[in-house]
Amino acid sequence: MISVANIVKKFGQTVAVNDISFTTKKGEIIGFLGPNGAGKTTTIRLILGLIKPTSGTITVEKSDPIKDRLDVLTQIGYLPENNPLYGEMKVSEYLQFIAEMKRVSDPLLIDEIVKDVSIDDKYDVKIEELSRGYRQRVGLATALLGDPNILILDEPTSGLDPIEQDKIKNLIKKVAKKKIVIFSTHILSEVEDIANRLIIINKGKIVYDGKKPARKGSVETLFKKLVK
Amino acid sequence: MKTLFKKELQFYLNNPLGYIALVLFGVFTNFMFVKDIFVYGSASMRPFFEILPWLFMIFIPAVSMRLFAEERRTNTMETLLSLPISEMQIVFSKFLATLAVTAIGLVLTLGLPISMYALTQQAGSRIYLPEIFVGYMGQLLLASGFIAISMFFSVKTKNQIIAFLGSVIILFFLIIFSTDFAAGTLPQFLQGIFNYLSPTTQVDNFIRGVLDIRSMYYFVSITVLFIFLTVVDLEKRP
Repeated sequence: MISVANIVKKFGQTVAVNDISFTTKKGEIIGFLGPNGAGKTTTIRLILGLIKPTSGTITVEKSDPIKDRLDVLTQIGYLPENNPLYGEMKVSEYLQFIAEMKRVSDPLLIDEIVKDVSIDDKYDVKIEELSRGYRQRVGLATALLGDPNILILDEPTSGLDPIEQDKIKNLIKKVAKKKIVIFSTHILSEVEDIANRLIIINKGKIVYDGKKPARKGSVETLFKKLVK
Repeated sequence: MKTLFKKELQFYLNNPLGYIALVLFGVFTNFMFVKDIFVYGSASMRPFFEILPWLFMIFIPAVSMRLFAEERRTNTMETLLSLPISEMQIVFSKFLATLAVTAIGLVLTLGLPISMYALTQQAGSRIYLPEIFVGYMGQLLLASGFIAISMFFSVKTKNQIIAFLGSVIILFFLIIFSTDFAAGTLPQFLQGIFNYLSPTTQVDNFIRGVLDIRSMYYFVSITVLFIFLTVVDLEKRP
């Protein structure tokens, strides 16, 4: 379970996140929506303990992301924004490296994930030579390695073509059953397709937190109404 | 930790940069010593060991500058910090990998003592091998101090050039602290302190073949201090 309580994060005079609270439980796929600069990535980085909140508390499976950093990180699979990867490594080397860091000993698990995200044809190619879509899939594969309880994906389908987007969406749906998935996105239809809960954040504040509206197109209507 | 060490070491071994740096280091050290070998008039490795800190002053910042600066620039630092590995382990892995590369560089110079040993034996004399062994040990200790300092500069910036120049400047001043040229301009009491703080003074003991525990303590302290400062910087959360 992730619990975010009254979190405020200031960078100098700028308030990036202003008193937000939410809790999540297993089986939830949370679409984290908001315009650019709304505080989505900041919130995600706070949950991972990459930055410190100015005030408020965060717990991930009862642990503090800063004090019990390693306990928290073993539970989370993370795909950062812009998906930074070690370009000089081959896909196979990179996945092996991340697997060893996450103490995944079974090589079959790597093979399985490689097939799931369809990067088997580029397995021996250097990451810097990959297209954006493939790089994104490599990032997603590393987030999935180690079968973490929590998946945090910062714009997982950015840069992918519609067919690839569908594949990734199906994959997220498939793995999400026993997990907590939080994914941030700009693509409203994506939330409609896979999320079962919707959090809309604007100017650092949560403006909507609840079930995803069922009717097609209603996410867009809701978003436009709340974010002006 | 082993995994990250392996990855860091492989970066140098799978990349032309590592080979260029190592070959340049090997060529320079061998050339600098061999060009004057018959001028010294004695079969000694001391002039070689005296040159090494100056070459380390360039070589070590060159191989260390990328350690953290590159990770910060490409934002892979975020990937690394979101993996279940402590900051201490990250810093140690990177430190040990760079030390291993430096050790490979030193191995490239082993031809010198071997040739000298063979030459002196032919002339019916011999050089004292433990002295050379202690000399190399001193250089490795000096290198570990230099790596820790360069690594600290690398963690402070996103720009590799700044990391490189910053550490070269500091290493340069540390080296010249003990020279007569610099010391002569300072008051007496400062001369003593600066002389003690200079790595060249400390490594001199090893060059003379003396395993001085105080000099070992000095290099270990410098290394531990800068590794600690690097870890603290990495642990900082904005």
